[in-house]
Amino acid sequence: MPRCRIDGRDIDVPSGTTVLEAALDHGIHIQYFCWHPDLPVDGNCRTCMIEVEKMPKLQIACNTVITDGMVVRTDSDKARDAQRTALEFILINHPIDCPVCDQAGECYLQDNYMRYGLYDAKVELEEKVRKRKVVDLGPIMLDAERCVLCSRCIRFEAVVTGTNSFEFVNRGDHTEIATFENRPITHDYAGNLADVCPVGALLSHDFRFKMRVWFLKSHESVCPGCSTGCNVFVDERDGEVQRLRPRRNAEVNKSWLCDPGRALYKEIGVTGRLSGARVRGAGDGTTVGAALDLVAVKLKEAGAASAFLASPQGTNEDLHAFKTLAEAVGGKLDFRVGEPHLKVRERIDHVLQRADRNPNTQGCLDLGLDRDGVGAILDACRAGKVRVLVLQGPELLRVPEAVDAVAKAAFVVVMATHEGAELDRAHCVLPAALWAEVDGTFTNYQRRVQRVRAAVPAPGDARPRWELAAGTLERLGKPLGATSAREIFMLLSGVTPDYGGLDYRAIGAQGRALPLAGGTGARAQEARA
Amino acid sequence: MAATVVSVDRNVKPGVGPILLGLWITLGNFMKSLFLRRASTIQFPEQKRNISGRYRGIHVLTEREDGTPKCVACFMCATVCPAECIYIESGERPEATIEKYPTRFEIDLLRCVYCGFCVDACPEEAIIMSRENDLVGTTRAELIIDRERLMARNKLVEHGPGYRPSDHDVRRPVRIAALERLKSEYGIVPGPPRA
Repeated sequence: MPRCRIDGRDIDVPSGTTVLEAALDHGIHIQYFCWHPDLPVDGNCRTCMIEVEKMPKLQIACNTVITDGMVVRTDSDKARDAQRTALEFILINHPIDCPVCDQAGECYLQDNYMRYGLYDAKVELEEKVRKRKVVDLGPIMLDAERCVLCSRCIRFEAVVTGTNSFEFVNRGDHTEIATFENRPITHDYAGNLADVCPVGALLSHDFRFKMRVWFLKSHESVCPGCSTGCNVFVDERDGEVQRLRPRRNAEVNKSWLCDPGRALYKEIGVTGRLSGARVRGAGDGTTVGAALDLVAVKLKEAGAASAFLASPQGTNEDLHAFKTLAEAVGGKLDFRVGEPHLKVRERIDHVLQRADRNPNTQGCLDLGLDRDGVGAILDACRAGKVRVLVLQGPELLRVPEAVDAVAKAAFVVVMATHEGAELDRAHCVLPAALWAEVDGTFTNYQRRVQRVRAAVPAPGDARPRWELAAGTLERLGKPLGATSAREIFMLLSGVTPDYGGLDYRAIGAQGRALPLAGGTGARAQEARA
Repeated sequence: MAATVVSVDRNVKPGVGPILLGLWITLGNFMKSLFLRRASTIQFPEQKRNISGRYRGIHVLTEREDGTPKCVACFMCATVCPAECIYIESGERPEATIEKYPTRFEIDLLRCVYCGFCVDACPEEAIIMSRENDLVGTTRAELIIDRERLMARNKLVEHGPGYRPSDHDVRRPVRIAALERLKSEYGIVPGPPRA
């Protein structure tokens, strides 16, 4: 392992590490624009200049690989001067329209100017080279004046999506980025262009003028859009989610997030959210407690003549509580509506998205919820052997082939987040909290257990699904023995293979990967074979 | 560090002496206002005090030549506001040169502490303050004033501009308000300026 000295600090790094990576890892900040942890090094912005002992000229930190005994200064007068000059050069034609720029607050130019620049501008605003502004590229808005020509978007398009939409056009200080004939970006990863852009040249159309970023609070979470389980930040202000942003996890999503995933925040604050319980025949104003009382009574009556369908949209904690409920009652149990377990690892593009649009199918398999088969449960319903059907999500109610079977069950309970016509088929509707409103864990396609966090409060009386299951268990006289997601996970890890010894601290910010061939699910057995 | 203690003589001799001294001062002031007309009070609201030109009264949103707000909805005022009394929603202007403007701009005058930070923070000199300080309303909602009321400030003529970065920013609202007052109170509509 080469050992180098950066700003007087001795640092051991793996061979192949660049000065910039080593410095950032050890809390030494060097300014940069074109370098990105998940894109190839380009070295075109020339702002990360450093002084290396015995090298006649200054080097760029992002493309200088550390060799043993290298002595680097990032803060010498010579280096600082070069950094400031490079920054001034980049800012020459910048329009400085921060007041109307959505990037303000998370802009590399602003941050680096305050840290490395602080010079007096030598070019008057009127003398600057004007370029195209407000170019609508579909999900992305281009402002060529703000661009620092770092080529991050070009490299993203070339390396990650392979669509090559962007290119430099013109020469000299008239250079700008452009798509061919201003064609809009059509792939599913356009939102990342706004993220990779270090300045306000590429901005999200969806987030345009919506909010100044410094008002937002970020919560670490996981995207519930598919089985990939991309790490995200949920950005929220006063309990209203404003956007989702990728959170870097080198093992899962790198720095990316797909647009369908980004759009999922829109389902949180809508008017069609369920905020209270509903029981058929009972008037308005049924409380969740009263509804759970009724569910408990019905389950007690039915006993083994009941069936439980878990939802792969739920967290592991939800699933564990639901499974405990099913076992306490003695009913049938499964989760595979629409056979998500067959699609967990199936990709639908070459970047992130997977065919299974549930975040926690792997969790269902790991917890052993694939038990009796949905077909068998429906057949039992048709035969009149199921008196109470408990659904953890409304998925089954949307399946046309299941309508007759569901209608045969005397009492159908469904936990749902949103209003919908299909809920009318249930006798009791319980309001459930969405993924952004609960603490818990999802297990992604790699069997990586990752944390989701409650970022915003649930509407009205809606509560986490585990709480609904735990409430029913308590009314049945068989309490779950846990009052928070953290405690349920402790119970869960005690009884689930491979989850032993795991807790929220061990999972941490980046998740914890379990051996792929472990587990008891059908898919896991396949992987073992 | 120990606090400095100032000793106060509390042993003033009781008796008629101090009372008479107080009455003497009162009598002096009474005579002054009765015969010399040198009262310390004024007849508000008929009479008003002469307020400083930098007085921080109710806010004004300045406008461009075409009557649209100068504000670009950068949220600097809302960010700096210690009372959190400014609420802004931004939208897109059709012309590309300015891009952004406030679709909603509301100030809760009951929450406002009139510190003037919003004026200091504004990069466009779009928000200034007037010398208007007699804030009266019958409901709370009435005193949350919106963009239109912040821009059309007829009372500005009566009270005059207050705390602001430069005079140039108030000329237009003052002029518009003055014209409206001429029209409504005297029925005068001035023609084009004579050569």
